[in-house]
Amino acid sequence: MDPSRYAELFLTESQEHLSAINTSLLELERTPGAEAPVAALFRAMHTIKGMAATMGYQAVTEIAHEAESLLDGVRRGAIRTDATVADLLFSSADLLERTIEATTEGHAAPDAHEILERMRAMTLAARATPPRSMASVRVANSDTRVSVTLEADTPLKGVRAWMIAQKLATLARLIGTEPPEGALQAEQFDRTFVVLLEGSAAAEPLLAAARQGGYVEAVEVTPPTASATTVAADEGDAMLPRASQPVLRASGAVTAEFSVADVTAAGAIKAQRHIRIDLRRLDTLTNLIGELVIARGRLQAIAADRKDAVLDDALSHASRLVSELQDEIMTSRLVPVWQVFDRFPRLVRDAARSLGKDVDFVIEGKEIELDRSMLDEIGEPMVHLLRNADDHGLETPAERRAAGKAPSGRLRLAALRDRSSVLIRVSDDGRGIDRARVLAKAKRTGLVEADVEALGDDELFRLIARPGFSTTETVTDLSGRGVGIDAVATRVRQLGGTLELRSEDGRGTTVTARLPATLAIVRAVLARVGGETYAVPMTHVSETLELPGDVRETVKGREVLSLRDDVLPLVHLRELVRLPRQRDRINHVIVLEMADRRAGVLVDRLLGQQDIVVKPFDAVKDGLALFSGATILGDGAPALILDVNSLL
Amino acid sequence: MSHTVLVCDDAIFMRTMVGDILQQAGFEIVGEAETGIQAVEKYKQLRPDLVTMDIVMPDMGGIDAVREITKFDPNAKVLMCSAMGQQALVVEAIQAGAKDFVVKPFQPSRVLEAVQRVLG
Repeated sequence: MDPSRYAELFLTESQEHLSAINTSLLELERTPGAEAPVAALFRAMHTIKGMAATMGYQAVTEIAHEAESLLDGVRRGAIRTDATVADLLFSSADLLERTIEATTEGHAAPDAHEILERMRAMTLAARATPPRSMASVRVANSDTRVSVTLEADTPLKGVRAWMIAQKLATLARLIGTEPPEGALQAEQFDRTFVVLLEGSAAAEPLLAAARQGGYVEAVEVTPPTASATTVAADEGDAMLPRASQPVLRASGAVTAEFSVADVTAAGAIKAQRHIRIDLRRLDTLTNLIGELVIARGRLQAIAADRKDAVLDDALSHASRLVSELQDEIMTSRLVPVWQVFDRFPRLVRDAARSLGKDVDFVIEGKEIELDRSMLDEIGEPMVHLLRNADDHGLETPAERRAAGKAPSGRLRLAALRDRSSVLIRVSDDGRGIDRARVLAKAKRTGLVEADVEALGDDELFRLIARPGFSTTETVTDLSGRGVGIDAVATRVRQLGGTLELRSEDGRGTTVTARLPATLAIVRAVLARVGGETYAVPMTHVSETLELPGDVRETVKGREVLSLRDDVLPLVHLRELVRLPRQRDRINHVIVLEMADRRAGVLVDRLLGQQDIVVKPFDAVKDGLALFSGATILGDGAPALILDVNSLL
Repeated sequence: MSHTVLVCDDAIFMRTMVGDILQQAGFEIVGEAETGIQAVEKYKQLRPDLVTMDIVMPDMGGIDAVREITKFDPNAKVLMCSAMGQQALVVEAIQAGAKDFVVKPFQPSRVLEAVQRVLG
């Protein structure tokens, strides 16, 4: 068998188990002595060991094996989970992760010597000396001897031998074995063992039964003889295995979700089989469907000119199929956020520990799904936000007590669905952002007029999201190098999303990223300005309007639009792209909406809605921070995608 | 008609591997289970000719699952999948009614031999 076929599977599944290991370790640390996390840890280590052994990953197998032995001691109650044991387990989990990475990437495994030795020492110290006793078997001259030789490489030969003895015992009464049962199971024989059966049994069935036992190289049946021998044994007791080692009973609490899903769908079992696909294949498919969507747009434009009913009919059929195909491909790229989020608790814990803070971290909405590549991209910004909260947001226990709060801070990471977007929200109940300090610095650097007295959330956000704007005096390892929230905001914008911030003095900070659930293809409103076409993602469009020219008013020097009971600030797209204003009888307006902010964008002409394929776009940095990407239209012409966040 | 098999293991890796080995030998994988409880439920639904059973699984371990399955069907043919170092557990599984065992890492020929012995 070629193990490389399974290398990918091994890696993916090991990572899942590693994240389960970290979760369980945190749980064990919170509630020392709890059984459920120990059982889960044991199982995860055990599974990794089995897989690694199959792959021939020696170093991984060894670490998992020692950790498993240590955990077995914990499970049996021989080792107590104090801080030393917990730390050792944490270190071994880290070592295991690094070793798996190194091994699967073909690098040399990290030095495991010290941790392995510490685990061995702990396991050994806990191992009680097994009880010893004397056993002897009287062999009468009327007994039948069955001598069985096993193959050289028989795995678990002790059990194999015992099993063969049991099989033979169904044919004649078993008197005993050489070596005795305990020693037999403990593999205290080379390759040959003897089964003694009472009376004279027919040789043929015995031979057949023994051969049926598996891994049998030779069997010899010796009928009763005249000589009587006593086989004496001074061996580790023929202990009943049931008494000596507890059976692993994993707690049902650990993975309760497993049992529900599959059991009910009896008929659908075959349909549920999964295959794993290289993400690059899915990317290629995504690009192709993107091209297909563009081609469809082009065909629709042509058909609209022809006004041919038959062509329209055929095209609308093809068009539906393209949409379905697009949905299927996009759905196949979705993965639950826990695949990335599950490594955060460990990270938060380590950070909180190093800062001397108590943090109560919860993750909500783990099952919410996001495009695989987006999830990969969003992981790092989220780490940044969590570290920010750990570092700046949350106070030390003493500070919290002084402020009348519970000593441990609450940190929450939540994923939720909102129409076609996914919101990812990091919130803490810490001190909030120091507005006075931000304002003072902003005034010093001339970002804000000297007479401004207070900052709203949006201004606050705009200020701290400026590259290099930081009020932190001390730079820590964790964050505060002045590349904080602006890096996060940029990344989120590149993904077609927006970032929002709410902060309340003394009550905490909440940062929300709104992301499109699927990447690459979004529905957009197309509009014409000058000679160019622009696209506005539908996520932020609440409506489009065509209004007579006289609805515009000027309030406090700003142009606004009265819309029903609301007054919307107006933005001229012509001005933004540095074209002269145009006088029009009709106002073509796209109404944008984001959280509680709204604005109207004036364009020359509205072209309608269309699926657009977002193409990578790297001109954002120095050019106008007005566009988040670009797309190719049906006629092959490019169009820029407006960044709604920067317009509001 | 090919024999039907229910593969029980909490690791997809192992299920895939056992499934591949058996499928290539002409067996039909009719179901998979990730936990002992699932294994028992699925056995009752599917009545497969053969069950491969991992010892260590969540919810209900493989040994208890074997016990439940043989209680339901004394003729059930269960092949235990164990790792090195699990002597005592394998012994208990066989006492609970498993017919034979294979030891990880799996060699396809050894797995198929064991399957033949069990179905024998």
